[in-house]
Amino acid sequence: MDQTLDISKLSDADKKELSQFLQNESQKSAIQQNVHHIADTCWKKCITSRISSGRLDKNEEACASNCVDRWMDTNLAVLKHLETLQRQ
Amino acid sequence: MGLFGSSSSPAATSGSGEQQEIKTAIVKQLQAEAAMANARQLIGKVNEHCFDHCVPSPGSTMTPGESTCLSQCMEKYISLWNVASKAYLARAASEKKTNGLDTIAMNSLATGGPPQTSL
Repeated sequence: MDQTLDISKLSDADKKELSQFLQNESQKSAIQQNVHHIADTCWKKCITSRISSGRLDKNEEACASNCVDRWMDTNLAVLKHLETLQRQ
Repeated sequence: MGLFGSSSSPAATSGSGEQQEIKTAIVKQLQAEAAMANARQLIGKVNEHCFDHCVPSPGSTMTPGESTCLSQCMEKYISLWNVASKAYLARAASEKKTNGLDTIAMNSLATGGPPQTSL
């Protein structure tokens, strides 16, 4: 381990500060992971015709935005139904 | 959050010079690793989707048409990623506000994201 990364030399305030930073980074990384997964799914659903421009056209953009919301609806519905199954 | 966005570093507060150095080193290394992991994901997806889309039947050389398609495809994928990110963050914020749901943690169950544990 790099000697400059010896955390035992840090004060409690420093550790707290770092812990907060880690929590933020962890949340950020979870968001990015989710967006990577959803973008992958929505690319398959929304980009179906031949690509002739680097920009999204109106339909593709609307599709992508709807796709995210319906994906979220689906995820929430799945978890909700799973809960009712568990109670049975 | 933009595709290549990074979060802010902890503010430089009190502490000896050495303590500051340790903190800065940890923060920098973490940010670099997170950025690398994010880029790796994106490159993998772009490669997969654009190869599928632009090179349906691989020939002995790459054609100019395929090259053009690949550039456009890459830009389009990044545009779609940004639209998805914006829509996702908006929805997550609204679910949190109106239903008190932590959808980011819930979604991670479906996306293979890291389990959300408190530190």
